Amino acid sequence: MEWAELIGRVAVHGDRDAFRLLFEHFAPRVKGLLMKIGTDADTAEEIAQSTLLAVWRKAAQFDPSSGGAAAWIFTIARNLRIDAARRAVRQARADQPGFIDEADDVVDSPEILMTRGEDVSRVAAALLRLSEEQSRVVRMSFIEERPHADIAESLGIPLGTVKSRIRLAMNRLRDLLDEST
Amino acid sequence: MTINHHPPDELLADFATGRLDEADHLVVAVHIAQCPACRRFAGAMEHLAGATLEETAPVAMKADAFAAIVAKLDELQPAPRADVPPPDVLPDDDLPEILRRCRFGKQRRVAPGLKLQPIILPSAKQSRAFLLWSAPGARMLQHSHSGTELTCVLKGSFSHEAGRYGPGDFDFGDGDVDHQPVVGPDEPCLCLVAMSGDLELHGLLGRLISPFVRL
Ligand SMILES: [Zn+2]
Repeated sequence: MEWAELIGRVAVHGDRDAFRLLFEHFAPRVKGLLMKIGTDADTAEEIAQSTLLAVWRKAAQFDPSSGGAAAWIFTIARNLRIDAARRAVRQARADQPGFIDEADDVVDSPEILMTRGEDVSRVAAALLRLSEEQSRVVRMSFIEERPHADIAESLGIPLGTVKSRIRLAMNRLRDLLDEST
Repeated sequence: MTINHHPPDELLADFATGRLDEADHLVVAVHIAQCPACRRFAGAMEHLAGATLEETAPVAMKADAFAAIVAKLDELQPAPRADVPPPDVLPDDDLPEILRRCRFGKQRRVAPGLKLQPIILPSAKQSRAFLLWSAPGARMLQHSHSGTELTCVLKGSFSHEAGRYGPGDFDFGDGDVDHQPVVGPDEPCLCLVAMSGDLELHGLLGRLISPFVRL
C-alpha cells in the first residue's frame, strides 16, 4: 500500500489502522533522522510523536500529487524541530519547563509542496541522473545540515573543496532539471 | 514573462525544507509560482528530503509512544482543509493567487509616490512582509540592513547595480548590500517585500518610512 493512500484513509475515514502503519514506518525514521542531525534522544522522541500527531490532524491537507508522503512528513518534523529549538531558547530565558505543541501552521501553506504534474516526472528524471556522489553532497549539506568539516571527513576530501563540490552538484542539478522533459 | 533574477539555491533549499520564516517563505512562494525552473529545483529538494527520511536508519520509539498518541487522537479531529475566507477588499486587482488569500493591514502613504501595506502573518517570527507601491521614476529607499531583504516584483520594474528587475524577478539582499533602486519610468512598481533585521534607512525618505517598516 502506498503511504499517500494511507494518509488519504486517515483524512477521509479517520482510519486508525492506516495511522498505525504510518506511525510504525515514519516515527522511528523521524526520530533517527533528528538524532543524526544532532537532536538529543528525548527531544527526538517527543518531536517524532508530535510529527505523527500532526500527520493525523493535517492529513486532509496532504496533496498526493506533490513531492510525496515522506517529503511532507519530513517538512512537518523539520518545522516542529525549529519550533522546539526556538521554544527552548525562550524557556531558557523564562526558566520554565514546557511541552511541544503538535501544530505549527507554517506547514499548512499549501504552496510548500508544489511539485505537480509534469514537474513531478521532470524532477524524478533529473534526480535519477544526478550522480550518487552529487546527490549525497547536496543531501548532507542542505537536508542533514552537516557542517562542511563533517562533509569533508565523510567524503575524504579537503575542507577547502567542499564548497565547490556543493556548488558543482547544485549547478548540475539545475542543468538536469532544465534538460529533462 | 521572462524572469532573469532568481533566489539563491540555498534559499530555495531552505524554502523546500520548511526552514524559512513565514514572511520570507511567502516571497519565495510568489516567485516560485511564476518560475518553473525554481519550482522544479525546490521540488527536487523536497524529493531529496523525502528520500533522506526514507533511508534513515529507524530508531525505536518508546514502548508506549503509539498509545500516548492514540490517547490524544480522541481529543483531536483531523483538521479540515484550511478554508480561509477571502479578504473583503484586495489591495490590488491582480495579485498572485497566494497573496489573495492573505490578510492585509492598513495601507499607508509613507511619502510622495510611496505606499506600503503590511501583510498579517500569524507565525512570522523574525521578518515582516509588506506590499510596496512606488511611482514611476521614483528613487526607492537607499538603505542597508543587518538582516535580509527578499523582494519579488509583481508589476512594473526597478533597476539597481545588479540589473533590471521586472515582474516575477526576485531580488535577494543581505547585510552587504547598500543599494538604491530606481523605479522604471513608464509605470508604477508593485513589489512584495520581506525584511528581517534592523534596517538603516538613509535620507529624508528613510526617516519618513522607517516607523512604518518596523511593524
Ligand atoms: Zn526562479
